[in-house]
Amino acid sequence: MSSEKQKETAIDRVQLVYANVLDFVSHTGMVLVAAGFFAYVFRLLPPTVSIEDIASHWHMKASEMHRIIKVPAGWSWVSDPLHGDALSYVSIIFLSMAAMICLTSAFTVFLKERNRIYTVIAFLQIAVLAAAVAGIAGGGS
Amino acid sequence: MSLPVRDRISMALLPILAGMLLFIPSAAFAAQAASHPLADPAGWWIWVLLLFIFSFFLGIISVLAGVGGGVLFVPIVSSFFPFHLDFVRGAGLLVALSGALSAGPSLMRKGLADLKLSLPLSLIGSISSIAGAIVGLTMAAEKVQLLLGIAIIAIAAVMLKSGKSGFPEVKEPDIIARTLGISGSYYEPTIDRVVDWKIHKMPIGLVLFFFIGFIGGMFGMGAGWANVPVLNLLMGAPLKVAVATSGLVLSMNGAAAAWVYLYKGAVLPLIAVPAVSGVMLGSKIGAKLLTKVNTRAIRVIVIIMMVIAGLRSIMKGMGI
Repeated sequence: MSSEKQKETAIDRVQLVYANVLDFVSHTGMVLVAAGFFAYVFRLLPPTVSIEDIASHWHMKASEMHRIIKVPAGWSWVSDPLHGDALSYVSIIFLSMAAMICLTSAFTVFLKERNRIYTVIAFLQIAVLAAAVAGIAGGGS
Repeated sequence: MSLPVRDRISMALLPILAGMLLFIPSAAFAAQAASHPLADPAGWWIWVLLLFIFSFFLGIISVLAGVGGGVLFVPIVSSFFPFHLDFVRGAGLLVALSGALSAGPSLMRKGLADLKLSLPLSLIGSISSIAGAIVGLTMAAEKVQLLLGIAIIAIAAVMLKSGKSGFPEVKEPDIIARTLGISGSYYEPTIDRVVDWKIHKMPIGLVLFFFIGFIGGMFGMGAGWANVPVLNLLMGAPLKVAVATSGLVLSMNGAAAAWVYLYKGAVLPLIAVPAVSGVMLGSKIGAKLLTKVNTRAIRVIVIIMMVIAGLRSIMKGMGI
């Protein structure tokens, strides 16, 4: 009975596409987070900055810490990615990009459905997130 | 006279909560003394482990209390752990973001989290959350800590006072909601029927989501405490739709603000990962305990915890 009624609920195709992509991205993200952290704390790859160094500076403001030690920030890890801390950082980057990946899939569905208003809204939302990812929206130094 | 099982479990959680608030501060204070083993950077793993354990219990409690992990994480961790507020806010945003990401797919498939409702709100909210994050990272930590304390106590008051409505009555959708075609339906097992919903007062909702996004970005917190009442009580979304859609909005706003923290180097995997994984594991346990404990009692305890953390944050901000 309940499953029949569940089927009666009309869920947009775009919402199902978004949910499927989100499912994949969030699970992948969690696996990456666990694997990256494991490689970091068990020193399977050498860190850019030793964990002890970070622990002796983590009481400082982020900007002060960066004047003293160079931990990964923004896209800085790209130039030298084969480090434990960089790998763990990449997994966090991936999680922070999850919404943008899902929105891109929703945008293509809106576009195919010729849903003009939501195509524009989704595009603007992607643009805001892309500006943040690129460091244009206040993050870049 | 014996207490019901759910009340006994609730009572059993009290010492855990009290322990969290009593033990962690004394450890943090002790760590400030140079001679203490916790002040030694070689003891980093103790703090990471403590953070994971704390986040795990926080995950359980936040589900039982019906609040997001982020709102409790930032004031408590910034007050009781040796990490700078910048890193705690960066981790707090990721805690809020990850919770929303993992719960999202099933809530969307059930029609509870609505993409079309969330998109206009998150567009406004993500712009303001970026602005909030920039302002928050520019201000002196003491000022942010003071404002955070005030905000947390205000949020506790909102949580105590605000009501909720399972199925609010919406007579006529407003022009924006009509133009955007925002409405939906979902199956409600408690009444065994499909609930159709629509919303109204979208213009006021958009303005409020702007301010909520700003506060969320500034303090690195999730904003379910504000999103849900606005969606439910003001805009007329059913409570379950409001809670689920709030998570979807949060996943976009949190991502936007998180990038400001990432660029400013305010996200340390050593702090963010144990926090995220602890809260997520705890949330899964919390969801299983949901029917077995007195959630109203837990909610009151959480509000008390928020007031204590808020007062401590104010004191820390004032240098006391």
